[in-house]
Amino acid sequence: MPSAGKPKRKKSSGKRSELDSALDQVTDESVAVSMKEFQDLLAQAKGDTSELIRQNAQELEERLVLLKEKKIDKEDFDFFVENQKRDLRVFIDGQPAQTQERAEKLTLHILEIAATKVVPVLIMMI
Amino acid sequence: MNLNTAKNLIVLNVFLCAAAIAITSCGTATFSKTGSDAQIESLRNFELAFIDEFAVPGKRFNAAAFDAKVNEGNAKFQQAIADEKFTARRPVLTDLKGQFDADAAHLRSKASRGKVTPALASEMKKDVNKIYDHALGR
Repeated sequence: MPSAGKPKRKKSSGKRSELDSALDQVTDESVAVSMKEFQDLLAQAKGDTSELIRQNAQELEERLVLLKEKKIDKEDFDFFVENQKRDLRVFIDGQPAQTQERAEKLTLHILEIAATKVVPVLIMMI
Repeated sequence: MNLNTAKNLIVLNVFLCAAAIAITSCGTATFSKTGSDAQIESLRNFELAFIDEFAVPGKRFNAAAFDAKVNEGNAKFQQAIADEKFTARRPVLTDLKGQFDADAAHLRSKASRGKVTPALASEMKKDVNKIYDHALGR
């Protein structure tokens, strides 16, 4: 579980986001694996060629930061995740079959991990 | 007028009629599309105004005013769906109605408990603008 101790992981390059800095404080190994998976997927999504995938990742990150800063609560966060899912389903259904799986992984799957694994960690940090 | 000239005139007339029908249909489609887009913009403005009115931190929740506005919104969406000439646009309007329903339910829940924050209001409006932009193909 999270602790305020020394960061466990560090990326080799690039500016650390506020969210990355918070998630890097997780020291519990099993939780850290999920956080690492989430951070990797989020980084992939933010660098994707699709504007919608990038926009979704950006919004998700901003809302996780708002949650951590207590500017929105978990109810609000879950509501926004449902909004994002509703909007994304139309986009994914419109993708060619061979790219649907990747699009889903970088959108709906990230939202799912955020809601079920990242949010509880952030709430514990508040 | 010889037979060939008469035939040519008939062919020309048929061609002109077909062209006129095609141009008129395109014009009607463009006009209707413009009208449909305007309807969606009108719904967007209504929903943004709804959020502005009720997602105000610290404002006392007025259930009667809230319900009246939701009823007004429901009527607007139902009318827009019924009036939509482009059948392909109807599911889009139904999706937008779904967003309005979700916004109204969340806003009622938060505002009635005095739990609206400035970030909630601005993020809600951001989502509304995004879904309407997508509905308009932007």
